[in-house]
Amino acid sequence: MTEKRDSGELIGLAESLVSYGRVNGADEIEVSIIDDSEFSVDVRLGKIESLVEAGSRYLGLRVIKGKKTAYATSSDLSEDTLQNLVKNAIKRADLASPDEFSGLPPFSDNKFDFTSLKLFDSEIRKLNSKTKISLAIETEKIALKDKRITNSHGSSFETREIKSILANSNGFIQEYEETFYSLSLGLQAGDTDYKVEDFWSSSKRHLKELEPPEEIAKKAVARTVRQLNPRKIKTQKVPVIFEPMMTSWLLGLLFACVSGVSIYQKASFLVDKLGEKIGNKRITVYDDGLIPGKLGTRPFDSEGVPIQKIPVVEKGTLKNYLCNTYAARKLKLKSTGNAYGTGVGPNNFYMQAGKMRPEEIIASLDKGLILTRTIGHGLNPVTGDISRGAFGLWVEKGEIAYPVSEITIAGNLQNILNHIEMVGNDLEFRSSVSGPTIKIQELTIAGE
Amino acid sequence: MLYNANIKERIAIPLENLQKILNIALSSGGDFSEIFLEYKMYNFINMEEDIIKETAESISLGLGIRVISGEKTGYGYTNDLSLEKIKKVALTAASIASGKLQKNSSSLNSFSIKHNFYPVLNPAHKESLEKKILLVQKAYQTAQNFDQKIKKVKVSFIDQIQYVTVFNSEGLMVSDIRPLIKLVCLCIAEKSQKREAGFSGGGGRVGLEYFQSELKPEEIGKDAAREALNLLEAGLAPAGELPIVLAPGYSGVLIHEAVGHLLEADFIRKKTSIFWNKMGEKVGNDQVNIYDDPTIPHFRGSYNTDDEGTVPKKTPLILKGKMTGLLQDRLSAKLMKKSLTGHGRRQDYTCMPIPRMSNTYLDKGEYAPEEIIKSVKKGFYAHKFQGGQVEDSGKFTFSVSSGFLIEDGKLTVPVKQATLIGTSIDILNKIEMIGSDLAFGLQTGTCSKEGQGVPVADGCPTIKISRMTVGGME
Repeated sequence: MTEKRDSGELIGLAESLVSYGRVNGADEIEVSIIDDSEFSVDVRLGKIESLVEAGSRYLGLRVIKGKKTAYATSSDLSEDTLQNLVKNAIKRADLASPDEFSGLPPFSDNKFDFTSLKLFDSEIRKLNSKTKISLAIETEKIALKDKRITNSHGSSFETREIKSILANSNGFIQEYEETFYSLSLGLQAGDTDYKVEDFWSSSKRHLKELEPPEEIAKKAVARTVRQLNPRKIKTQKVPVIFEPMMTSWLLGLLFACVSGVSIYQKASFLVDKLGEKIGNKRITVYDDGLIPGKLGTRPFDSEGVPIQKIPVVEKGTLKNYLCNTYAARKLKLKSTGNAYGTGVGPNNFYMQAGKMRPEEIIASLDKGLILTRTIGHGLNPVTGDISRGAFGLWVEKGEIAYPVSEITIAGNLQNILNHIEMVGNDLEFRSSVSGPTIKIQELTIAGE
Repeated sequence: MLYNANIKERIAIPLENLQKILNIALSSGGDFSEIFLEYKMYNFINMEEDIIKETAESISLGLGIRVISGEKTGYGYTNDLSLEKIKKVALTAASIASGKLQKNSSSLNSFSIKHNFYPVLNPAHKESLEKKILLVQKAYQTAQNFDQKIKKVKVSFIDQIQYVTVFNSEGLMVSDIRPLIKLVCLCIAEKSQKREAGFSGGGGRVGLEYFQSELKPEEIGKDAAREALNLLEAGLAPAGELPIVLAPGYSGVLIHEAVGHLLEADFIRKKTSIFWNKMGEKVGNDQVNIYDDPTIPHFRGSYNTDDEGTVPKKTPLILKGKMTGLLQDRLSAKLMKKSLTGHGRRQDYTCMPIPRMSNTYLDKGEYAPEEIIKSVKKGFYAHKFQGGQVEDSGKFTFSVSSGFLIEDGKLTVPVKQATLIGTSIDILNKIEMIGSDLAFGLQTGTCSKEGQGVPVADGCPTIKISRMTVGGME
């Protein structure tokens, strides 16, 4: 047996299962295959802790018969297992209920410009283990030179190479390859009973875009030590500045609330709000999976629907819910190309940058908090209520005064979106959900 | 020769080949090699909008090979079980060491476990889909008909059977067959433009008989509906430092987060946990006894052997307020020269085992629950939790989905959505009273660490904490 089935073989497998399903009674069938190779190295205090190298393949399928749906997945790609799964799925579909909204998307297009999306970096095949390990070791080493750092969670370097294949009974058959690199470092500072910790990481599709070890070390150190000797603050309502990562967190919550699935399930405070003002004029949000080389970029979604740039919120007005084919049909809308697995996910979901430099935003704050980190759960998408444990920097007269910890922030997403006072110019696509620094007029901080 | 009759068809790797692979894995001078073989079948049913919307079936088959060399670990995995491919994975894992073969693997000796913590009458994976659909429909209809204000119901049923076999270079060969099921219900209630969600569920390492004898699907439906309706009437939670009373059962998540994680041996060994230098020391009030017990029959977090082939033990973590134990896996136990406790777990064959919790609880105390509530003049009663998170430095948060204000020793106004925040040792010291009513939370929890999810359970009795920061909006 060959070590890796070549691409023709996997495409052939997908196509043959689609035909097998049709012959055995499925009205519609969709087959996806993921062929994934991963490498990761963890180092800590200068030594390798672990090294993982592996490849694996997964197959997923959806069968529709009489408007009834069944799914299956397998990591066992032997022909008899897969054929049994297809036959079983057709039988199981009979036990589900007919659902007029079910079914595959109509055939759209088989022409995609994969190269312009810059999803694949061929450097991945030239990079040897030694280089990968030394990137992680180097990153941690630079950080540990700083005497304020008292312990390390370690540094990791990871690469992934993924091939995705999708075929369905409406005639769709495509494959594409993509790469990912990431370098990260976690640190602790302070004495045993007064430790603080934070991390920094960079994830990119192209090796040359990855932040270098110096940069990662510098940011991880700065983020960790700025929390040393925190104070408690009194419970109060103050303006709050969200650092970009915190804005991204907030946008993740917004995504959950504009997801077509949450909308048709009525599990979002944004039900029936299309075309209405849901925030002030400073907020504009897009989902754009076509920006070359970004983490959420892809040619088509998991159902084969071509990706577009979708306006989600424009100057405060809700323009679109983000849908897969099913949610779109339920809501009498069109799929926005947001199908992820059997649900809905973001492509590049981002808030448009403003004009202000982050330093200017901080300087504008007479008294308030810069939110740097949150921990825990605490969003109720049904109501938009938010409540999380938080860390931050206290600001007085436009300057950072001291770090604060053991506080919580609480508010309501709807309210927050209506009270964005300033938007920074520092948007970076660090993950598939990203935003710049923003300033919110007022939030409740619970402390002493 | 085969080692697990139930899965022989799918993964018939002859014993001599396994022995060979363990040796290949040691060929660069590693101290220890191990094969983790896993076959998992999973079924899923989803009902919403009054229909059985979809069903899913999943098969996962593969193996992971681990080599330990000193403090270093090499790991590889594959779902292609051809001998050629497995040998290649063994060589990849072997390369963590850089030398020559030191010692061949001992010959494999099948070791069969005498106990079974989860004997089931009607294993769910052998039951018909129709029977399971019936359970889903019962929960769904009960929730929907509970009150007119219930506008949306979603019920899911998941059953899983996991066959695990561990082989290692010390000659160990041991298998475990782990059933796991859960039925969960989510309800949304609506009243004058206001919407709230309620959740409930149950299950464990049980058969379908559980939903007749232990917890009826109707009860799950009712419980979720009731919570959503209660929240419609709930006010905003207070903000500030207050005395806190934790409800029994659900509040176990606080023990899991604030204490359990920080006593996982990897964090202690790396000195990142705030508890790293506190073994034998007083870390909490005298009344505090905390255990992790993977042997509780039928619990979600239980197992006959951990994912390294170690038979697990009920492990005391804190006794009379003193730190007494850790959750060990093989690597940490070896490096710390401690005995194994059977807490090396992994999500699946693609993951290395790490120290994890199983069923974690704070043991019962002497106070009647009413007495505890009565002792608070003005405070907050945390009833249901959504989850929590902790960092090694001991700072943690919990999301309370519903609670009550305590006024003059009585539960008064229902409130919703608050966050509790604190630090571990501080809270353990501020525990003032512990109730006699030990209970466990819903058998639906999954704990995540380093990206690996494993099923867990947690519990505690009614507990009073003298002061804690509550983050609400009022």
